[in-house]
Amino acid sequence: MTTAAISIRSLTHRYGPTTALDGLTLHIPEGEIFGLLGHNGAGKTTTVSILTTLLKATSGTASVAGHDVREASHQVRRSIGYLPENVSFYDDLTTMENLTFFARLSGLRRPEARIGEVLEFVGFTGHDRERVGTFSKGMRQRVGLAQALIHQPAVLFLDEPTSGLDPEGVKALRELILRVNADWGTTIFMNTHLLSEVTKTCTSIGILRSGRLVHHGTLADTVGAFPTDDALERAYFAAGTTTS
Amino acid sequence: MNETLTLARKELLDLRHDRIVWIVLGTLGVAVVLSVIVASLDYRAQLADYEAYVAQVTASGSGVTPAAPQLFPLTLLRGGMEYVEVLAALFALMIGYGAIAKERSRGTVDLLLTRARSGTSIVMGKLAGLAVLWAAIMAAIVVIALASVAMIGGATIGLHEVARVALAGVAGWVYVLFWSAVAVAVTTLTRNSTGALLTLLVAWLVVVLVIPQIGDTMDPDNQVPGGLFKALAIAKTDEHAVLDHFTAYESARNGLEVSSISKLYERFTFATLGIKDTYNGQSLAFIWDGTFRYVYGALAFTAAALTLAAASGRRIHTLRRS
Repeated sequence: MTTAAISIRSLTHRYGPTTALDGLTLHIPEGEIFGLLGHNGAGKTTTVSILTTLLKATSGTASVAGHDVREASHQVRRSIGYLPENVSFYDDLTTMENLTFFARLSGLRRPEARIGEVLEFVGFTGHDRERVGTFSKGMRQRVGLAQALIHQPAVLFLDEPTSGLDPEGVKALRELILRVNADWGTTIFMNTHLLSEVTKTCTSIGILRSGRLVHHGTLADTVGAFPTDDALERAYFAAGTTTS
Repeated sequence: MNETLTLARKELLDLRHDRIVWIVLGTLGVAVVLSVIVASLDYRAQLADYEAYVAQVTASGSGVTPAAPQLFPLTLLRGGMEYVEVLAALFALMIGYGAIAKERSRGTVDLLLTRARSGTSIVMGKLAGLAVLWAAIMAAIVVIALASVAMIGGATIGLHEVARVALAGVAGWVYVLFWSAVAVAVTTLTRNSTGALLTLLVAWLVVVLVIPQIGDTMDPDNQVPGGLFKALAIAKTDEHAVLDHFTAYESARNGLEVSSISKLYERFTFATLGIKDTYNGQSLAFIWDGTFRYVYGALAFTAAALTLAAASGRRIHTLRRS
């Protein structure tokens, strides 16, 4: 039996009278690249926020890398990397200063060598003495990925990782995500509303509609039901109508 | 502990590029130097008046020589200490506010929260960084104060003077730490940055300006410029005898004044530097006897502010953008 990297049971979250997440139950095995699809406001970011300990769920339980997000939040933080949709850094600090700070917060005492290794991995060498405030969106995204990977996390959370990137940036980031998973065995949980990205990157998908999981399965099974070029798009809309 | 040090170090790196730090240091330094220049000119004017008076007395054939005005060199720092009391508090508040508000406006708080052990450690790390920054600024102010008293005031600076100004510097450090801790706590606990800033400015206005001003206005000796008792040529012992009849009033007035940390800081530094007549030329032991309760009061205020700031860390998630 495969160990679950992420395990979610009956997770519900309400913002006042609005239910953002409604009884979500989901198990993601180790080593998967999981894509969570959904329209704007479907509850994707709420799910990631709960799993990354940024938000406390109204009810239900969740564990990441074997640690309960509510009871063992510090252990969860040590096990995860997180790349927010609009990644922000200390713009007046250099790449090296930013990464050193986040590495030390993650418990790395002498992070210099690891920073070099990760910067090389994300293809961002030669900029370590430059201020992050001078970087383009694509460059910041690479630094963002480097900070998320600096402590070699077991699970990596990516919130709309390709948002705002040009086609070259999207392609480069996609290749990096695949390499992180292949080379380091990192489980990846990715929020997106871009079906094309899921097709090219993910091994399994979940579809959220208004806070409810209306579909969960491997990518192959999902698109297999619709043997056409726009298979995932058909599956996406079908899930919204048949399951809920 | 390592996490607190990491956060403190980052805070210092970040502040290194912040113009407000250099504005603070420049403004306080210039204010101290200017106040020493003004006080020195005033003393020289008094000395010139005295010399003219002595010349007149001598010309009239009188053998009596009037007493020369006394200069206790550190009293030249009175204006400088008042600037620290008012301006440094405001700057400490702005820097403390900025340390938290910038995490919100930049959106870096999410990355911090997915790394740090707890919100309390984030807040304490930031305060540790601010404490180091203010220690450096206060050390610079102490050096500037001593150098300006020696070079502009023409006074000889010995070990006693260095110790007294250094003590005033330490008191200033505790005082600004209070304001930075209050700013960090209020900004962390308030959902809206503008609301936090307004609350802090009101607190500064009340504690630094309004309460001490009410206390000063209630002081019977302040009813006449230069002092009521001095104008009436009433000796200190008689002044105390008069005031003994108004103990309840005086206790209320004093209670109001010491409810402001600014007044506690002022009373201690004015005593230490000999700006208050009672403490002119007195030993540090004598000054301690007269002022230790102000020191304990200021330390209690600062400890309370630090505790509040640490507790506010538990609510740091309110800084997240919704």
